[in-house]
Amino acid sequence: MFSHEKYKHLYIPAALVTILLIICAFRAPQLFTSVGLAGAILVSAPLILASIAITPIAMAGRGGVDLSIGPAIGFVNVTIVTFLVGLELQSPLAVFSYAIVVGCIWQLLLAAMIVFLRVSPILVSLSGFLILQGVNLTILPRPGGFAPDWLSDWGYGTELNSPVLYVLLSAFLLWYLFCRTPLYESMRLLGSDERTAYTSGVKINLVRFSAHIVAGIYTGLAAVCLTGLIGSGDPSQGNTYTLQAITALVLGGTSLAGGNGGALGSILGALAMFLIFVVLSSFNFGAISGFMTELTYGLILVISLLLTIFTGRIVWEKNS
Amino acid sequence: MTGQSTFSFLRTFSDKKGIVLGIILLLLLFLVGSVLVEGFNSINNLRSILLLASFLGIAALGQTLVALLGGLDLSIPFVIGAANILLAYLFGTNIPPILCIMIIALMGLILGLLNGFLSFRLQGQALIMTLGVGFGIVGAAQIFTTVGSQYSGTVFSDVPQWFANIASINGKIFGASVPPVVVLWFVMSLITVLIMNKTKIGREFYAIGGNRTAASRLQISEFKMWLTAYGTSGLTASLTGMLLLGFSGGGFADVGEGFLFTTVAAVVVGGTSLLGGTGGYGATIIGVLVLQVLTSVLVGLGLNYAAQQTVFGLLILPMVALYARSPHIRLQI
Repeated sequence: MFSHEKYKHLYIPAALVTILLIICAFRAPQLFTSVGLAGAILVSAPLILASIAITPIAMAGRGGVDLSIGPAIGFVNVTIVTFLVGLELQSPLAVFSYAIVVGCIWQLLLAAMIVFLRVSPILVSLSGFLILQGVNLTILPRPGGFAPDWLSDWGYGTELNSPVLYVLLSAFLLWYLFCRTPLYESMRLLGSDERTAYTSGVKINLVRFSAHIVAGIYTGLAAVCLTGLIGSGDPSQGNTYTLQAITALVLGGTSLAGGNGGALGSILGALAMFLIFVVLSSFNFGAISGFMTELTYGLILVISLLLTIFTGRIVWEKNS
Repeated sequence: MTGQSTFSFLRTFSDKKGIVLGIILLLLLFLVGSVLVEGFNSINNLRSILLLASFLGIAALGQTLVALLGGLDLSIPFVIGAANILLAYLFGTNIPPILCIMIIALMGLILGLLNGFLSFRLQGQALIMTLGVGFGIVGAAQIFTTVGSQYSGTVFSDVPQWFANIASINGKIFGASVPPVVVLWFVMSLITVLIMNKTKIGREFYAIGGNRTAASRLQISEFKMWLTAYGTSGLTASLTGMLLLGFSGGGFADVGEGFLFTTVAAVVVGGTSLLGGTGGYGATIIGVLVLQVLTSVLVGLGLNYAAQQTVFGLLILPMVALYARSPHIRLQI
C-alpha cells in the first residue's frame, strides 16, 4: 500500500488543527507560552487518551463505537479515590497498574460479550454505559475524595516538563510500536472486511480481544490523567468523555465503518476540539459561550463527515 | 438454499419470540410489583406509568422506524430539548399557541429530514451525523432563547392551560380521568402499526431493512424510506419535547437527556433488531411498557436513579442475546 493512501484520512484533521492554531496565534497568543502549553497538555490529555482508546475498537469494525468509554474512565477515577486510597495503595506504580488492569478487564468483558454473545458492539457498550453510570453513582454519589498527593500535584499544570507530558509521550510510543506489529494489519483487515479476514485465516476473535486490550490500556491512562486534572473523584465528569471522544475520533478521520483510521487522527481530532474551545473562549460570548461550543462542535462534526464523501476515503458499507 | 430458508425461518421466529418474551416479562414485572410494592396496582400508579410511557413511546416511534432500516438516531434527546425550550420561548411571544406548536413540529420534521438527507450517503456513520446535527440544534436553540434574557438554558413563560392539561397527570379527556397524551399515544400507535403492516410503504421498510439489494431490484427507493424514517423521528422527538413542556411547565434544554439511550433500549428490549428488517412498533410498545413498569417497580422498591440505570443496562444484554444475535461468521460467507 502506498504510504500516502494510508495517511489520507489525516488531511482534514491536520488542516483543521493548522487553521485553528493560526487563529489561536492571533486570538489567544498566551497558549504558546510555556505555561499556556503546560495547561493545554494537562487539560487535553484525558480526551486525547480517551479518543485513542476507542480508536482500535472502531477500526476493528462491526460498527464498534465504545459508548461506555466515559463511564469506564469515571469508574477508574472514583475507585482510585475511594478504594485504592482507602487501601493506602497510593504509589504511582500501584495507581497506574490498577488503572490499566481495570481498564483492560472492562474492555475484555465487552469483547467477550461481543464475541461470544454475538450482540452488536454498540448495544454491548450501551448497556456498559448504563451499568457503569449507575455503579459510579453508587460508589461515589457526589464529587469528592482526594487523589494521591503526587497525582493532585499534576493539577497545577504550570511546568511544561510534567508527568502528564511523559504519560502522553509513552502513550504515543506505545501506539507507534503497536502499529508495527502484524496484529495491527490483521485488525485493519478485520475492520474493513471481516469475511475476508476470516477466510484468510486471521484469528478474528483473538484480534478483536487484542483491540480491546489496547483500548483498555488507554482507558486506564485516560482515567489517571483525569484524576490528576480534577484532583478528586467525580462520578459524572467521566461520562462527558463518551460523546467528546467519539467526536474527536470522527474529526480525526477514523471511519466507524471500520478498517480505516488511526490514533494519529484521533490525537489531531482531540487537539482540534481543545483548540475550538480555546478560540471560542477568546471571544466574549458571556452567557452563551457554552452553547456556542456545542453548536460549533456539531457543525464541525457534520462538515467533516460530509467532506469525507468528497475525499473518497469512505468505506462503503457492505450489504448482503 | 436450505441455509437461506432456515435463516429466514429463524428470523420470523425470533420476531415473534421478542414479543412473546416481552409480554411474559411485562406480566412478571406486574406480578413482582403488586406483591412487593404497596399500592402498585392503584389507579394512580397505573396512570402515572402510562403517562410516562407515552412520552417515551412517542419518542421511540421514530427510533423504531430508523432502527428498522439499520440506523440509529442519536439526535432525539437534543431535538426534544430544543423543541422544549423553543416552544416555551414562543409561548412567551404574541404568536397564537396553535401556530407555535405547528412551527415547532415543522422544525422537528425539517431537522429529521436534514438528518436523513445528510446521513444517507454515510450510512455507516449515520449515528455520528445525527449526533452532530443534535449538538448543533440544541446549541443554536439555546443561543436563540438566551440572547436578551438573563437566564441561560432555562426558559420561563406561561404554558396555556389546555396545553398543560394534555400532558399532566391530572389531565382529563372528555371528562374521563385519563391524561389526553395517553390517548394520543394510543392513536399514534394504532396508525403506525396499521401503516407498517397493511400498506405498501410499511412493507417496503421491512424489505429494505431485510435486504437492500433485493429491495432496490424491486424499485423500492432506499433514499425515500431513509428520509421518511428520519423525518418521522424528528417529528416525534419534537412532539415529545413539546409534550414534556406541558408536563413540567418550564422549558429546560436538558429535558431530553434521559431519552438518548432509553429510546434505543425500548426498541431493543421490544425486539427490533438494530441490524434492520425485523421487529416493529408493536414490539417497541411492549419494550416501552417493560421499561416503564420496571422503573415503577424499582422506584417502589426504593432504588435510586443510579441503581435503575444499572438494572436497565443489565436487562438489555440478555434480552438482545435471546433474539438479536448475529449469525456466526461461518454462516455469513
